[in-house]
Amino acid sequence: MLSSLGNPRQAAAQLMNFGLILSTAFMMWKGLSVISDSPSPIVVVLSGSMEPAFQRGDLLLLWNRNLFTETSVGEIVVYNVKDKDIPIVHRIISKFGTGPTAKLLTKGDNNDSDDTKLYTPGQNYLVREDIIGSVVGYMPFVGYVTIMLSEHPWMKTVMLGIMGLVVVLQRE
Amino acid sequence: MASQEKITVYNLADLKNTTDDAIPNYLSSLKFTPSHTPTDVRLALGFSAFALSAACFFWDYKLGFESTKTYTAFAVALYTILNGFLTFWILFVEKGTIYQGTSPKGDKIRISTETKKNVPVYYMTIEVKDGKTGEKKTLKISRSFTEWFDAAGRFVAAPLQTVLAQGVEVIGRVDTKRANAAKTAEGAEPGPPAAVYTPEMLDMLSGAGVSVVGSAAETATGTEAAEAKKGGKRRKA
Repeated sequence: MLSSLGNPRQAAAQLMNFGLILSTAFMMWKGLSVISDSPSPIVVVLSGSMEPAFQRGDLLLLWNRNLFTETSVGEIVVYNVKDKDIPIVHRIISKFGTGPTAKLLTKGDNNDSDDTKLYTPGQNYLVREDIIGSVVGYMPFVGYVTIMLSEHPWMKTVMLGIMGLVVVLQRE
Repeated sequence: MASQEKITVYNLADLKNTTDDAIPNYLSSLKFTPSHTPTDVRLALGFSAFALSAACFFWDYKLGFESTKTYTAFAVALYTILNGFLTFWILFVEKGTIYQGTSPKGDKIRISTETKKNVPVYYMTIEVKDGKTGEKKTLKISRSFTEWFDAAGRFVAAPLQTVLAQGVEVIGRVDTKRANAAKTAEGAEPGPPAAVYTPEMLDMLSGAGVSVVGSAAETATGTEAAEAKKGGKRRKA
């Protein structure tokens, strides 16, 4: 196994194979980003504010191009509040004006009131560029893995351990 | 003759990789000059694709998605092309090549190998181009791995070298000793060796009190086991 280290080309090839696995995964993600024109084309639902449409752990597929129609009332969108990094998935309930400066108001289906409280103080509405995509598809429950991993950090350690073990045990 | 490293004889990938590594060693001991061009092309393609995606990651991290998306789109397209070409190169140009080079007499040789799932046979495809006449030839040799691995998984170089020297004229011309040895040995008995136990294995088995008889199912009686034990002790002494 370690004898390959004696041969620089073989060692370089092994390093390259490992690097290409990482970079191919990254470039596929970026390709999806470019096609959907969204910085984050796949998101995981973290809260129950859109029940019964989406549950915690659902995986959402986003689309951020307005090819035929503008983003309009009734659409479920994912947006970023100014200066906050957590994307929120809610439905557009009213819209004033047209074009990129139209004022949009959102609300979670399962919430009592609209999202004005969630926005940054001083921000009373959203505009088109706050939105990172409209939901066009979803897969129930698949994203729960990432929620588990971020809420229970010890699982990350266990998973990394198992992956490391697999790499050591099956070496092609 | 045997190398120090032992492999698991049930692991086909290990058998193939060890043999693949041994052939370039043998040929370079015969003063063949290797050509690394195909490997270098593969490495260049792979690493430039990786560098491109690393750069893409870096500008995305530093500048965000919106301001860099044109570059990202180009990077994704270029990455797809590079990776596609890399796959083409591995599948259709390299085709499992483990050695490419020139013999001291000026003949060109290229060896590619493969194995089939669950079949312990080493399939070699050898392309040669005569240095003087420019004549091209393709040979196919397939041999069982048992010919050059002993029961304990140690690689034994001589039989493999003999197979190559005997089977490939370009190699035989340089390594006349092995090529001729092959011819004389052919008359005698080229059959594969029967189940061979190494001294260590016998020691281990007798120490554990296990019957050492080759086909234990046939005659696994107490006396047989006792005899085997004696045999083990005798070897130790």
